[in-house]
Amino acid sequence: MLRTDRLDAYYGLFQALFGFTFEVRPGETVALIGSNGAGKSTLLRSIVGSVRTRPDGVLLDGRPVGGEPERKQLDRGIALVPEGRRLFPSLTVRENLQLAMRNGRKGPWTVERLMKEFPVMEAFQHRPATALSGGQQQLVALSRALVCNPDYLLCDEISLGLSPVAVNEVYELLGRARRDGLAVVLVEQNVKRALSESDRFYCIQKGRVVLEGSAEHADHAQVAQAYFGI
Amino acid sequence: MLGALYALFGLGLSLSLGVMKMINIAHGDLIVLGAYLCSTVMQLLGIGPFISLLAVVPMMFVIGYVLQRVLLNRVVGRGALSPLLLTFGLSIVLQNLLQEVYTADTRSLQAGEFALQGFDLGGVSIGLLPLVSTLISVAIFAGTSWLIGHSHLGRQARAVADDPGTARLVGVDDRNFFALVTGFVLAVIALASVMYGIRTPFSPTAGPERLLYSFEAVVLGGLGNVWGTFVGGLIIGVAQLLGAKVSSGLGPFFGHLVFLIALLARPQGLFGKGSR
Amino acid sequence: MNSVALMNGARPRKAGRAVAGVALFAVLGALALAPWFTSFATQRLLVEVFTVFAMALAWNLLAGYGGLVVVGHQMFVGVGAYALFALSNRLGINPWMMLPLATAATAFFALLSALPMFRLSGAHFAVGTWVLAEMLRILTLNNEWLGAGGGMPLEALGSFDRWTRNAGVYWSALITGVGALFIARLMLRGKLGLALMSVRDSEAAAAASGVSIQRAKLALWVIAGSITGLAGAVAYMNTLQVTPDATFSLNWSAAAIFIAVLGGIGTLEGPILGTILYFLLRESFASYGSWYFIGLGSLAIATMVFAPGGAWSLVTRRWAIDPFGVRRDMPRR
Repeated sequence: MLRTDRLDAYYGLFQALFGFTFEVRPGETVALIGSNGAGKSTLLRSIVGSVRTRPDGVLLDGRPVGGEPERKQLDRGIALVPEGRRLFPSLTVRENLQLAMRNGRKGPWTVERLMKEFPVMEAFQHRPATALSGGQQQLVALSRALVCNPDYLLCDEISLGLSPVAVNEVYELLGRARRDGLAVVLVEQNVKRALSESDRFYCIQKGRVVLEGSAEHADHAQVAQAYFGI
Repeated sequence: MLGALYALFGLGLSLSLGVMKMINIAHGDLIVLGAYLCSTVMQLLGIGPFISLLAVVPMMFVIGYVLQRVLLNRVVGRGALSPLLLTFGLSIVLQNLLQEVYTADTRSLQAGEFALQGFDLGGVSIGLLPLVSTLISVAIFAGTSWLIGHSHLGRQARAVADDPGTARLVGVDDRNFFALVTGFVLAVIALASVMYGIRTPFSPTAGPERLLYSFEAVVLGGLGNVWGTFVGGLIIGVAQLLGAKVSSGLGPFFGHLVFLIALLARPQGLFGKGSR
Repeated sequence: MNSVALMNGARPRKAGRAVAGVALFAVLGALALAPWFTSFATQRLLVEVFTVFAMALAWNLLAGYGGLVVVGHQMFVGVGAYALFALSNRLGINPWMMLPLATAATAFFALLSALPMFRLSGAHFAVGTWVLAEMLRILTLNNEWLGAGGGMPLEALGSFDRWTRNAGVYWSALITGVGALFIARLMLRGKLGLALMSVRDSEAAAAASGVSIQRAKLALWVIAGSITGLAGAVAYMNTLQVTPDATFSLNWSAAAIFIAVLGGIGTLEGPILGTILYFLLRESFASYGSWYFIGLGSLAIATMVFAPGGAWSLVTRRWAIDPFGVRRDMPRR
């Protein structure tokens, strides 16, 4: 199980997270809902190691793993699909994936498998990664994290700026991964989609948990309140 | 040919600028260090300059790796100022250390018979040494270019040059990787320094000038483009040779002038990746 | 900020300021009277101290406040010195009268050089200035009119007696050093300083707020260049001979850089502290030759690794003081 324990996070002098406690169990999907600047990205980046935290702020199966660099977290099975996709423009689609696969863990998800599952990706595998449409790029970004074969996948705004068709494709890929037992943390501004895809949810506002519960039984009015902070 | 040598000087700088985004002011002094190491090895073992490379290249690789790991990694990413000033200090230290150990006298690497051999090709006499040097330079450029394009290391290098933060997310261990790159850079420097040492008498303070030529080659060719550096080096070399023909003291000046003019006309270099 | 100062007890602050003012006046007075009670050797040393201080201050202004790191600082030194010597020799006029002209010449040069130089940024800019300095050196070396390799002496100084000459150069240096500090403080507390510091914090935000970044940097460049040119001219009045290799030598940049780094980049107190440290070190250890330089270089490396803010940052870590009143950020805990 991956969980944070009263996590604080700072950007220089600015505190972004205040005693944030949440958990993800193996195989489940958790949604993190909140408006811009609420601290969602900070939380993901703190878990994966891009933002420094105290060691016992992040616990994986009971062991403190906070503050470790991204490479170590990747070895432990925690991967992040960053906000804005952030593919490497100097590399082709295939190279983006190869790079991640070589550095990640061995497992069922390989470049070849992805090419087979998504013929579209195979078609443009030799193009520079940024020469693709937004939806295609998001698929590649998601794949890049998947080939590291993580146990916990953190997804930062993967539907942002995409057409409904593209969003479906992205969640289709995510669905296949989840069927393999992957646990997912979904950070989304699209509340409806997030709730429909997850088992549980947390609402985050100004770096704090303000609401949590089961996605199925979520009271939409309550969630709206928490989201907008009314 | 002088240009090919300058190109090789520039290659190392181009790599460290591109991947680690820092300029190593001590780059020129490291070239001189390589030449002195060659000289010492040659004296100790009584072997020729090219054979001494077998020992010097690994030595320089290790020096580069340790240098990056211990010192330079601490200032990477801390803005352009820190690495520049640190390597400036390093340059001073290196120059004076060399002066202490080897005295301020100039010396050169003796290539013996090899340096004087040549042959005729359609009326033009071609020296064997310049030819070999140029071939080595081209080979190294080709090799590096292949590495960057087709190896895991090359992909990592390109990724880190694009976006270091995301590169870390996909598992690039920058501390180790940067050290490897610097090791590689110093190995290339070692190769360049042998040819430099045979061709030109060198002294402990010859470093800064080499840095300037390397820098000019890199910027002229355009950042982020390996073969661009090669062309840049050729241009600077040719400019200097032409300048020396016009007036014997003005060789380097012409190189500087060409560099400045090219910069004014096209700041991103000949093959640069557009405007940054 | 003023209201806070008033609340925290205006009277003790005012008294403190008065004491500091008197002390400053006393120190300056003592320095001004130096030619009457110190030896020529001491005066020559102090000339070096003041001129190098001015150069380091200028460098610090460029790098610490303008984001313009320069490795070719010696070009201003050379232009200023050669301008002075050439003008004074050709026109046969008293060199002290020519100092303003030499400064103006350097300012003009700075303006011109900004054209190619400002096309570069960051490390490229730094090495670009070095290339430019080298070009000037080579040009001067090959120029018969400027004395080529042997350089030029300052003929007009021969007509003055030794005491007057030394005192005159000394006072020029003192005025240069203090003046540089005064100008720097004035500039930083004014519009230009505010513009520069906003650019230093965030270039994008500054541009969005309507700050003309190019204009601010150009103004800084010309001011810093002129200060350095003046300091260079005075420094060479001390040695009486300009030569291309010495006048356009990288050593000027090295000294300025070391002082700024050791003292603290981006502060006004830094260069003062740095200059004192630098000359203390030099007078104590220069006899060790290469080892002195190795030590100096290592010190610079260590400073960048462990205390990038220089010696002054070590002081402010202990005590939150701000003698020159140019800081505008919250003191770091």
